[in-house]
Parts: sequence; C-alpha cells; structure tokens
Amino acid sequence: MVSRFSHRTGDDVDEPVTEACRRKHQDRWRRRRLLQRQLHDGAALRISALTLRLGLLEHRAAPDGQAVQDCIGELQDELHAVLEELRDVAAQIYPPLLDEAGLGPALREVVATLQAPVAVVASEERFGPAAEGAAYFAVLQCLAAQPAGAPSTKVVVRREIDTLMLSVSGVDAFHAELIDDQVRPLGGIVEVITGSPPGASTVIARIPCE
Amino acid sequence: MRVALAEDGTLFREGLLMLLRAAGHQVVCSAADGDELVALLTTTPADVAILDIRMPPEPDGGLITAERLRAAHPDLGLLFLSHYAESHYLMRILEIGTESIGYRLKEKVGSVEVLTDTLNRIGNGEIVIEPVLAKRLVERTRGDKKDVVAALSDREQEVLRLMAEGRSNNGIAGQLYITPKAVKKHIANIFVKLGLHIDTAAHHRRVLAVLTYLRSQRNQG
Repeated sequence: MVSRFSHRTGDDVDEPVTEACRRKHQDRWRRRRLLQRQLHDGAALRISALTLRLGLLEHRAAPDGQAVQDCIGELQDELHAVLEELRDVAAQIYPPLLDEAGLGPALREVVATLQAPVAVVASEERFGPAAEGAAYFAVLQCLAAQPAGAPSTKVVVRREIDTLMLSVSGVDAFHAELIDDQVRPLGGIVEVITGSPPGASTVIARIPCE
Repeated sequence: MRVALAEDGTLFREGLLMLLRAAGHQVVCSAADGDELVALLTTTPADVAILDIRMPPEPDGGLITAERLRAAHPDLGLLFLSHYAESHYLMRILEIGTESIGYRLKEKVGSVEVLTDTLNRIGNGEIVIEPVLAKRLVERTRGDKKDVVAALSDREQEVLRLMAEGRSNNGIAGQLYITPKAVKKHIANIFVKLGLHIDTAAHHRRVLAVLTYLRSQRNQG
C-alpha cells in the first residue's frame, strides 16, 4: 500500500511549504556547511600546526631531557584527542565527506560504523548542500531508530530530473516521520509503502535539488 | 631525503617545513597548491611529494595532483596528509598507486622520528596507512566475515592490523617483539583463516589483499 505521508489526520491537510520557507532552510544548510569548513580551515588546522611546533620543540630538547620529551608526547596525544572531538562536532554540523564527495561516499562511510547491515546504492552525482544535508541526516536518524537485530536495510539515492529521490527500505513505517521532518522544510514529499511485517516498509522521499 | 611539499594552509606548511629540515631532509620545493607543485617538479627532482588532500585545485586537489605526478614521475613517492582518516580516500589513494604511497593524519606526523619513518617507508616502496584507520577497518569488519576475523587469535588480529597499516614482516616483528619467523607463521594462519591465496612475499599485494577484503565487507553492507 502506497500512501502519502502526513503529520495530520482527517480533514486537516498538510500545508504546502512556502517558497520563503524553502529558501530559509536552504540557507540554513549552506550556513552549516560553511561552519564545518570554518572549523577545518581555522581551529583544526591551527591545532595540527601546533603538533608540528611541539615536534620541533621535542627535537630541540636536550638529549637528556627525556622527561620533557615524554611531556611533549603527551601534549601531542592530547591535541589529537581535541581534534577527534572537533571531528565529531564537524560530522554533526555537516560531514566533511558529504561536502567533498557527496551522499554515496558519506553514507557508505557512516554505515560502516553500524552493527546492522545497510546497503547503499548511490552514484557520484551531486544535488547541492541543502538536499544532500537533509537526505543524509534523514537516513542517519532513520537508521538510529532501527531496533537492534533488525534485518538488512537498503538506501537508494537517485536523481529524477530536478529532484533527489531517496528510498529507505526495510524500516518501520513510523520512521517516515523522521525523514519527513528533514525533507519537508525544503519542499520535499514523503511516501510510505507499508510492508508486511510493518518493519519491512519502504519510505521514499523526493526533495527538490540543485 | 629530497622532499617536495604542497599544502594550502600557511601555518601548517611552514611548521612542516621546519620539522622536515630539523629531521635532516632537503625540502626541494614547496607550494600552496597542486598545480604549482606539478610545475615545480618538472625541473626539480625529488624522492617524496607530501600532498594535502583538500587543497586547490578544488575540491580534492591532492588526489588530482597525485595522479598527474604518478604519471609524470612513476618513482616519486607520495604521502597524503589530511585532517580526516576516511576509508573513502584510502580507496581512492590505492587506486592511484599501491607502491611508495602513504596516507596519514596531519597531527600524527608531528615528530622527527614518525615523519622520517613514514618518509623512509614510502621511499622504500611501502604503503603506509594511518594506524587509526587501519585499526578501524579491521574492527569494523561485519557480517559473516566478522566471525572469521573473530576466529583469529588476539595475536593474529594484531598482526592483521599491522599488515593493514602496511608494515613489513620485520616491521611487525619489531612492533610485537616477536621474531620475523613467528610473524610469517601468523600471516600464513591469517591467510588460511581468511581464505586468501596471495603470494606472501609480495608485501604490497598482501596489504592490498587485506584492504580489498575489508572493503568487500563494507560494500556488501
């Protein structure tokens, strides 16, 4: 059974998203991407450069300065930990790999960290920062909501003229709401093909894209 | 060692130049982008080129630059530095070449010893892979093959992880304080358990075997 996903029930029909709303949310995604780049080109690069300066200091420390050298090594490890935390933050703002390589590589990289098997079918094609960002986080939230031991999930990303088509199969029909939250502000439309059992449903989103 | 360097971040580039010189390497040229480096290297010989992955020409100029350099100077070693250790880039790097090539995190080459060890291994024809990434690849193995990896002994898993970093038998032996002969035995066991049939003498092929195997796990999903 295919049905158009709607937050509301009965006579209360979904309001179409206005052009102004779409533009506002597109800008929001661009800002997120910009913030992530700023983290990379600013703070992260400075900290990496600091580890080099510390290495130089270690080299110049007196040969009998083992204590100093150990201390510098510890500082470098600490800076690595700081960078790892920044990477975590960057990934939640706008994943760098999504920015640089697109949905296919970014989704494949992230599903590799999950226990449950997820297949990703996506070409190298690009869709613009807003549609890609919304699709990426929609998939992530959907996968995070999957119960432990759920059967395999399949994610397909494809272009349909000026629309990004995202399909997530093998998920609960209720997950449509998670996907809808991400894609609706951009004028996206979500459909649900309810499976049997309901945990084997397919959610299809179509998002206007660049 | 004669080193060429391309990195668009001034602070990092200058820091790396100082550390390279302190380590006794000769920096034959340095550039802020890939195109400039390719031009400089047409007249200047070098042993290893250090490339930032994310630099002009955008978006991932380091990879495009590397392809051009490998075509023009097949013997030139290539060391990629990045702020991110992603398997996506590792696979792309291994498509460019499987000899004299390396991929490390920027903040992990910040000592004379590590930098020199990395450059020497690349100069000797080896593949060098950031240990964090190699470890992640081994640990992330899933599905049926996860059971296979789980069937390896702790020592064999350590050896597999070091193999994925691109370490030689002697390198692995040194890291684990065991004899090269013992390493060979562990590797033979790993290959049997993983069902791989590769000439164990060909060092880089065996790294590739490990990575191909791990990648196949990722793509199977």
